[in-house]
Amino acid sequence: MPVFKMLDIDLTTGRHQVTDVSAQFDRDLGGTAVATSLLLDTPADLDPYAPEAPIIFATGPFSAVYPVATKTVALFRSPLTGNLGESHAGGRLAMAMYGAGFHVIRVRGASPFPCYVTIDEDQVHLHRAHSLWGSSALAAERILRDHVPSSYKRSIVRIGPAGERRSPLAAATVDSSRHFGRLGLGGVMGSKNLKALVVSGGRYWPIVEKGKYNAFYKKLYDAVVKSPAMKKYHDLGTAMNVVPLSRINSLPTRNFAQGFFEGADEISGETFATRHLTQHLACGHCQTGCIHMATLRERFHPEHHQFKTFKISYDHELIYALGSNLSISSPEEILRLLLLIEKQGWDAMSIGVTLAWAIDAFQAGHLTPAHTDGLVLNFGDAATGEKVLHRIARGHNEFYRDLERGAAFCARKYGGQDSAIAFGGNEAPGYMTGLYAYLGYATGVRHSHLDSAGYAIDQKALNEPKPDDVLTAELYKEALWRMTLNSLVICLFARNIYTKEAILEGLDALGLTGWTETRLHEAARRAHARKLQYKERCGFRFDDLVLPGKLARVVSGAGQVDPARFARQVAAYRDLARADLAAAADVADAPPSAIPNPR
Amino acid sequence: MGKLLRVINREQCIGCYSCMFACSRIWYKAITVEKAALRVKNYAGVEGAFSIRPCYGCADPDCARACPTAALTPRPGGGVDLDSAKCTHCGACTEACIPEALQWDHEQKQPIVCRQCGVCVQFCPNDVIAMVDIPAATR
Repeated sequence: MPVFKMLDIDLTTGRHQVTDVSAQFDRDLGGTAVATSLLLDTPADLDPYAPEAPIIFATGPFSAVYPVATKTVALFRSPLTGNLGESHAGGRLAMAMYGAGFHVIRVRGASPFPCYVTIDEDQVHLHRAHSLWGSSALAAERILRDHVPSSYKRSIVRIGPAGERRSPLAAATVDSSRHFGRLGLGGVMGSKNLKALVVSGGRYWPIVEKGKYNAFYKKLYDAVVKSPAMKKYHDLGTAMNVVPLSRINSLPTRNFAQGFFEGADEISGETFATRHLTQHLACGHCQTGCIHMATLRERFHPEHHQFKTFKISYDHELIYALGSNLSISSPEEILRLLLLIEKQGWDAMSIGVTLAWAIDAFQAGHLTPAHTDGLVLNFGDAATGEKVLHRIARGHNEFYRDLERGAAFCARKYGGQDSAIAFGGNEAPGYMTGLYAYLGYATGVRHSHLDSAGYAIDQKALNEPKPDDVLTAELYKEALWRMTLNSLVICLFARNIYTKEAILEGLDALGLTGWTETRLHEAARRAHARKLQYKERCGFRFDDLVLPGKLARVVSGAGQVDPARFARQVAAYRDLARADLAAAADVADAPPSAIPNPR
Repeated sequence: MGKLLRVINREQCIGCYSCMFACSRIWYKAITVEKAALRVKNYAGVEGAFSIRPCYGCADPDCARACPTAALTPRPGGGVDLDSAKCTHCGACTEACIPEALQWDHEQKQPIVCRQCGVCVQFCPNDVIAMVDIPAATR
């Protein structure tokens, strides 16, 4: 029977301890569900930047063990929304945590000095890192990969200067171009003076039943590599969405003013692939290789033929946030902006949507050249966009310092709330397909399009209309199902491969017996309810959710979205969640041993 | 003429480590990359530059020459065999392998010998490695 362990690190004292958390994994399945239970154990009124506030990194029983179970989930209190901070990242972190022998790493406390932490199996050390403080997220990885020896594959999680400044838009970057992007984990790491974590180890699970495991593995491998299930991701990637979304008025353009972008062809997945794609990369133990790396070669000397070349990853969300939504139709300009964002370590979506708000607010007169210190903000002006990012990085003046606090904060302070396209405080992702995309962003536990995939419901409903309540129930059902996937912490790109049957077969092949469809569902309901419980404890209320004013005026892929209809469906979703909260309450507070186990 | 493992398309590697997982899985019943008899290396700060280091099945292997106890002996057809009982865990063999293809088992403290079985090839999604006919005279 596999054993699951948690490493607890106290940055204040530099001490650590290891706990067996197998019972929690047996009860909750793993990943997001286990981490949520741990987060609920913290006091309700902790400031996101309080030293005691935990960061919980968790993986699941499939992590590193099966193909495409590559993600690690991080839970924390979000400095952006004030409630549940949850972000998922790929790279080699899940594999390295497995190798280190830990399925959970909980970081608490704050170091009195800038530090980084190395975890090499039981060797856990806190090191001074004054000389690393101020380095870009890219440089920090280069330096640590050189500096920290290990016999094993390493994973490096680090922040850039944005995290050091405690920006609630700051990401934590993992290995090559993967990110805990959303909801401000970078700022929380910065508040703890934690520049980086380096994780490695050679521990492993022996295969219990060779025939069973190998047969199941081969089936998954063939589905990943040989079936059409993952084709989209290793072909053009999610960037293939750009043009089709624009065609159905669903590609956010000029701060969500419209869903059609006249320059969509110029920033399409096809254009990026033809002009700039140089390589695909993979997360550890994923044969798909969906990370699309673009190369940009630029002449830097006006008289001599001297060039610089940089590589940067791209996908649909980045192209939307720094492209169509800013009315920038040059892939080269998008890549240059992305490089700055990578170095600073911001979440690309949040900083992009905040820039779009600023341009909108400038044009509406809420912002003036006095705020921007002379810069004129225009859609389509990437050169000025670069200047804005440099000024934010330098903390040029109060306005620029405020910009890295997000669109909702800025709109409250400067005006233009209608045009701050944020849900629950989180800047919106790149789909304006209609009511269910917006409803998903609003009601999702982490205000992400990945919580419940409302954009897919919008598109299906165009062909097959159904009553709102039915679709809201489908949205809710998908949100619950994704609790299971996120407890296994598989990459959601493989969601069509990891069916219920496959999951049960996979658990059984690892010797994790006793799981049934019902038990999976109950664990998912409980996890979802506990997340809402945590959010409500932090002050979140469904009834406070509003559709950003601008989105009520513009025509989405599924037509205009009536705010009253939006509010009715938020209430319908709330009622579904409430019923689950009540049902889950009996078991929510029970110790793991009290949970019925059919074994 | 026998088949030996070769890197045929290094630039097509995506760094998924599927080959290393396959080798550990099949030969050691271990879910890890650390029991594999080959290594996919990546480089600090160089995005996506991988170097694949498989055992080349040398006819006169440096690793066997370096072994002070003859625990490693040349195998007919290329590569080496390991007699674990003779291994003194000195690590001279891995030092002698210039491409650093011969891997070290940190748990057993002995080299991990490639059997040239080709299972890694079967689990490479991008044709980076292959079992290639190599005439004995050119090994």
